[in-house]
Amino acid sequence: MGKVNLDTKLIISAVAMAVTASQPIFAAMPDMHGFAEFDYGAKVSDDNTKRDDFNLFEQRLQLKTNYFFEGENYLAEKRASVHFKGDFTVDEYFSGKTDFELREFNLSLTPYNNLDVKLGRQVLTWGTGDYLFVNDLFPKDYVSFFSGRDDEYLKKPSDALKMSFFPSLANVDFVISRFESNTIAEGDRLSFFDSFQGGIAGTNSDRDLLEPPSRASNLEYALRIYQSLESHELAFYYFRGFDKNPNSYKDETARQLFYPRLDVYGGSLRGPVMNGIGNVEFGYDNSREDSEGNNRLIENSKVKILSGYEKDLGNDFKVGLQYLYEQKLDYDDYKVNLLPADFVFDELRHLLTQRITKLFKNQTVNVSLFNFYSPSDKDGYVRPTVSYHITDQWKSTLGANLPWGEEDMTEFGQMKRNKNVYIRVRYSF
Amino acid sequence: MIRTLFLIGAFLFLGFSKICSAQEGFSAQEVIAKSRLAFFYAANDMRVKISMELINQNGHKRVRELTMLRKDYEDGGEQKYFMYFHKPADVKDTTFMVYKYPDKDDDRWLFIPAIDLVKRIAANDKFSSFVGSDFTYEDVSGRKPEEDTHHLLRKEVLNDNNCFVIESIPRGKAEYTKRISWMDENNFLPLKEEFYDKQNELYRQFEAQEVKEINGIMTITKRVMRNLKTGHRTEVVFQEVEYNSGITDDIFSERYLRKAPMEWVK
Repeated sequence: MGKVNLDTKLIISAVAMAVTASQPIFAAMPDMHGFAEFDYGAKVSDDNTKRDDFNLFEQRLQLKTNYFFEGENYLAEKRASVHFKGDFTVDEYFSGKTDFELREFNLSLTPYNNLDVKLGRQVLTWGTGDYLFVNDLFPKDYVSFFSGRDDEYLKKPSDALKMSFFPSLANVDFVISRFESNTIAEGDRLSFFDSFQGGIAGTNSDRDLLEPPSRASNLEYALRIYQSLESHELAFYYFRGFDKNPNSYKDETARQLFYPRLDVYGGSLRGPVMNGIGNVEFGYDNSREDSEGNNRLIENSKVKILSGYEKDLGNDFKVGLQYLYEQKLDYDDYKVNLLPADFVFDELRHLLTQRITKLFKNQTVNVSLFNFYSPSDKDGYVRPTVSYHITDQWKSTLGANLPWGEEDMTEFGQMKRNKNVYIRVRYSF
Repeated sequence: MIRTLFLIGAFLFLGFSKICSAQEGFSAQEVIAKSRLAFFYAANDMRVKISMELINQNGHKRVRELTMLRKDYEDGGEQKYFMYFHKPADVKDTTFMVYKYPDKDDDRWLFIPAIDLVKRIAANDKFSSFVGSDFTYEDVSGRKPEEDTHHLLRKEVLNDNNCFVIESIPRGKAEYTKRISWMDENNFLPLKEEFYDKQNELYRQFEAQEVKEINGIMTITKRVMRNLKTGHRTEVVFQEVEYNSGITDDIFSERYLRKAPMEWVK
């Protein structure tokens, strides 16, 4: 992502062709909205990345527009619309590199009364977690997350066809998408645990990440079936695709990692409980290329159980708590097959999170603290933010990313040298 | 002649006092209940474009513009709301849905389009501010008459309108300790409300500034809520009000939360 590559061009042409094929009459230029933003994140810990003094320094212009078809043509009848959102960036981290990131460009329509279709680049989200994802296998950008960009950038767009069916029995979402990996630390901007380097690595990391080639047999499928039970929402999920993180080895000597095939089955329930909102979600990750768990090079299957609770305590003060349990399956097989020099990852992981949000001054000031803490990994990640809407247009955000951990190879422990304090100033229009 | 005038006078007096006694026949509780129906449950459904100006003591303005759809399932009972935000720019296209129940907490959902996220919102915050304005959630969605004890203090003419002046004291936990309402005798709309705090000081004041008849229904089209302690106020204008336009039940669903029904909200 981040480049106008061939796929982006394909998406643009596909949507553009669909639009022009209907010969619509563009009555007027649609409204353009968006924002201009300046971000700076000063680094407060040392590592071996490209720069010592900061890990975020960029300017961003986001433009977005929607067009709704009108008149007497097929697309207007089917309530079709086109959505565009793109970010132009100047990234001082990479010496002023300019870039364009197409975040959304899709055609949305309702061909039948109980069917909605969205085709093109789009951001996709489902599931019940807060920053924790069990059944949401859509791509994420953890570099943005850890470096202090807006939450919006945690979600990467997908090139997808989303079909939503609304028969009377239950609602069904079915997504077919092209593989898009998670964006994770690779040592240039953020340091991380690199097993080839035997510890936390920066620019010395020289791993090779092999993505599944773009072809029909490598398309990903995601399904959600959901229904309301009075005030509660019940959902079932199925995903067939690839692991989004390169945690498995293709060829150790060539330092090649890859994204093995993965199926996920899950369910969730969310609704009011004890004067708040409670949720439970579970997922079973079937690592299809190592379903027995005896291949030391490929991630084992896993079980994840998430529960959460959020309550409003009044006076614009909210508290949210979550507990995530993760268990690597066939752990004995995993251990038996390890070689003496291999790093050993734990079988279980317990993760607690807490979010506290308080608003002040007619909700123009937002003070928030999000905390990840894993007693099993002995690591955590503290994310405090204070934002102020100076006017409807101007907003300034001050925050910090403070991952920590006793060990180098745990999820947050490996990020501990990426601590930063950042400021973002945004003008929205 | 004098006798005739006297008779007419007597007739008018009797007639007038009869009307008065009919109105006095309403208990304060009944007036409040009728007012709630007139204000929050008018017609079977409503579509309105709402413009809110949030103005601080220095005159700095913030603008919230939204289209609201409301459907009633029972007078005084269950309702569903759908809101689509046009302004400010950073919340444009955000949608918000509320299922309101008479005897339990609302169900609320917020859709944040930038991350395609449908978020469930904890709803026991009826005293919190609605979108940063001086109106609380309760102010914009109503309060059950049984939650206060009501007394008719007097009748008074307010801007040429005959009003019941009613004092309401909360029976349980509330945002105020005392509320005084001026209810129009003809249509039961609240023309003015005063909210008192624990020190028995007036701290919030509601005022209806324009009332119009729309599809035969008297509707407050301009209103203001002032916070007298902070000097902050919120001015609200209702435009494009439509009643009974047949908003269908399916609009109030996750489907339309994610894909706003433009024919209704544009």
